[in-house]
Amino acid sequence: MAIFTLNINGTQHSVDAEPDMPLLWVLRDLLNLTGTKFGCGVASCGACTVLADGQAVRSCVWQVQNAEGSQITTIEGLSPDGSHPVQKAWEAIGVPQCGYCQAGQMMTLAGLLNQYKKPTETQISNAMSAVLCRCGTYHRIRQAVQMAVEETNK
Amino acid sequence: MKKTAIDRRHFIKISALGSGSLVLGLVLPGFGRDAGNMPCDHFQPNAFIRIDKTGQVTIFVARQEMGQGVNTSLPMIVAEELEVDFQTVRQEIAPFGSLPEGAHDTGGSQSVTGSYAELRKAGAVAKTMLIAAAAKKWGVDPNLCKAENGVVTHVTTGNSISYGDLVCDAAELPVPTEVTLKNVKDFKIVGKGQRKKNLKDIITGQAKYGMDLKVPGMLYAVVERSPVLGGTVENIDAEEVLAVPGVVRVVSYNGTGKPMHARAGVAVLATNIWAAIKGRRLLRIKWNEGEKNKDSTAELFRTFADLAKKPPQKTVHTAGDVDAVSAGKANTLNAEYAAPFLAHAMMEPLNFIAEVKNDQCELWGGLQLPHWTVDTISKECGIPKNNIRVNLALMGGAFGRRLMCDFALETVKIAQQVDKPVKVIWDRTDDIRFDNYRPANYHRLEAKWDAKGILQSWEHHVLSTPISWMTDGPGTDTAENLGGAEKDFWYAVPNVKTAYTPVDFNLHRGWLRGVEPVQNVFAVECFIDEVAQKLKKDPLQYRLGLLEGRESFKAYWDKIVEPQRLAGVLKLAAEKIGWDQPRKKNHFMGIAGHMFFCDSYAAHAIEIERLGPKKFRLVRIIAAIDCGLVINPDGLMNQMEGGTVFGLGQALKNEITVENSRVVQDGFFNYELARFSDVPDIEIHTVKSDAPPGGVGEVGVATVSPALCNALAAAGNRPRTLPIKNEGFTWE
Repeated sequence: MAIFTLNINGTQHSVDAEPDMPLLWVLRDLLNLTGTKFGCGVASCGACTVLADGQAVRSCVWQVQNAEGSQITTIEGLSPDGSHPVQKAWEAIGVPQCGYCQAGQMMTLAGLLNQYKKPTETQISNAMSAVLCRCGTYHRIRQAVQMAVEETNK
Repeated sequence: MKKTAIDRRHFIKISALGSGSLVLGLVLPGFGRDAGNMPCDHFQPNAFIRIDKTGQVTIFVARQEMGQGVNTSLPMIVAEELEVDFQTVRQEIAPFGSLPEGAHDTGGSQSVTGSYAELRKAGAVAKTMLIAAAAKKWGVDPNLCKAENGVVTHVTTGNSISYGDLVCDAAELPVPTEVTLKNVKDFKIVGKGQRKKNLKDIITGQAKYGMDLKVPGMLYAVVERSPVLGGTVENIDAEEVLAVPGVVRVVSYNGTGKPMHARAGVAVLATNIWAAIKGRRLLRIKWNEGEKNKDSTAELFRTFADLAKKPPQKTVHTAGDVDAVSAGKANTLNAEYAAPFLAHAMMEPLNFIAEVKNDQCELWGGLQLPHWTVDTISKECGIPKNNIRVNLALMGGAFGRRLMCDFALETVKIAQQVDKPVKVIWDRTDDIRFDNYRPANYHRLEAKWDAKGILQSWEHHVLSTPISWMTDGPGTDTAENLGGAEKDFWYAVPNVKTAYTPVDFNLHRGWLRGVEPVQNVFAVECFIDEVAQKLKKDPLQYRLGLLEGRESFKAYWDKIVEPQRLAGVLKLAAEKIGWDQPRKKNHFMGIAGHMFFCDSYAAHAIEIERLGPKKFRLVRIIAAIDCGLVINPDGLMNQMEGGTVFGLGQALKNEITVENSRVVQDGFFNYELARFSDVPDIEIHTVKSDAPPGGVGEVGVATVSPALCNALAAAGNRPRTLPIKNEGFTWE
């Protein structure tokens, strides 16, 4: 075990963990930030997506020892009150069904919008196709992506 | 036919009965009058409604939320009769134990159909009591008082008082047994789209699923399960495992037989999940695989194909006499269809928490049939039923996976061996390899027509690896023909014979969203299309011709098939996709419809662009539904959009294969689900109907595959095997 200092949602946290423990479990079990979800553990579904310095990363395969020094943002920190353009779009369109994958969906889009203010159709499709939703909300995700892109570029 | 309580059909019937009026008669401590001298602070006339002094209304939802929206649709029904502002209503999971057996059951698209009358009555009872309390306060005739928006008003004087100010008076009144319900025409909440009650929690990461629950002092466990169903542990080498920091213990447990078929397993328990995961990698187990360790799906489908041509084991439904119909080869068509085992693969992997102290047990997690879980755990683990407490949790998808409770059962078996609560978490590999799978299935159909081209006979031989042979044992007399391969076959054909042949296979099976109809409708709705194609008829008009004038008829149980409602959804889907309009070059359309046994009808129409002999682009998908009265139009859209994507994944990609009785797939890399890029524009259209509400959770799945295959057939190549990627089809 070792002590790691993490910057999460703008706050410094010290955690005592095995160096190879994925950030996902550090967030969920050591820091009680359960908004980031476990879906596969091998970066194949996107449910665990968080932002590292604004870029979308899969927290289930990111060891805590490599996460020091990054500004980490989870769904709980995307905005104080659900007012991030992505969250507003998700709320307006009513995207979620079970909701389990939606943090990963929203963080993926938030990361994309940090990278490209006006992403192309291909960039959107590539980014969002990497996040699975078993309830099948893709149709509404597409609508919400458009709304969030418009809101971001207002 | 032998049926047990665990048979789904029986379960559906039980559910419908279990939600009867006895519920309202149940008054638990704390309901209605407050116990003893406790100061009054709320009004709770039944298990569904609580109103506190501030006027805050909480509606308790008995059915389990798993994404299908019951945490919104069911409170809407209560709020409608209660006359309150739906936006201010809170919803909570109804505690297990607050309602009779069966009330929490969630499956078979039954939540609305099974609760509608009861929830209306629950709301009306509370409203009637609040009105009576106000009338008593004022000394006026309650018939001259009305309730609206959480306020009772005396019509004559205009006096008004809020529900919050009436709770203590209302709590003193007797609970009426007979109440007047609203006229459906006056509904203000039901029928107007409402967003999910937990939408804001979801988008801010605050929603708590079973996976997010923690119990003080709990250990985390991951489990290595027998690779072959029925296998046992021969020996374990856990020395390296126990050396992993954080690992506390390694325990093993025996598997169980029917109905749950929990596999034997070895659990690694640790103070944190990562230690448990790392420990498991070092586990060395020798398994005794038993005799049935050679089954493969390649062989299974060869067996299906062989048996399909032989006399079926069981005749399910006959009309007229198919054997008396003679037709030459030119007037006969037959075809065979196949579909694979499927895994549920909900995004929240299975997880469960159990604590066992002596003969007391407490459970935490998401369950679709919690009473069945309690019964099973009681029997298998020797814990008295009344000593089992259940804390139900929000589910990140279920799709039928959490009807079975093998995952809860194994958790209790592990928790019995340690003195702390235990949380078992399945990883995705476990989830894909140790599911109870939608059965693999195969169909042979034959049709004959006369010299005028009028269809004279229809034969459908269904073959599958039955679910009932897992729940009730091999050899159980069974048929899994619902969905057009039973008496519910909707087309008017004078001579019909449907039949069933079960085939044994050593892999656990269970109910996946849409169940049997998804299997059978695929074959029925492809084959009717093949007949139309062969007769050079328009596939839509051909279907409508076989439905035209056909009166409603009784199928199985109390189910009435209404062919005109089916014709209605087919026509609506066709109209919205522009079936009769000139088609763009290389664009083709397919259509399919069905009745789902929860009194709902749906059709899909799909347009594709042909890019090559077996290459296409999905242009758009139209779905039409007639589910009677719509409770929450937004929820209905969600279920139909989601059902469509669920069906599309099955058409294109989903497939479980087996070698040596082991599932080959082990994650999302090889158990492929529909992704964002697979999904074209989807439009949902609703037939306006005054019929009682039907279920909508499953009706959107079955007709996607046949509609797509029919579109591909129109474009020149008909797939008869799902997923179609196995026939070399590609799409973009």
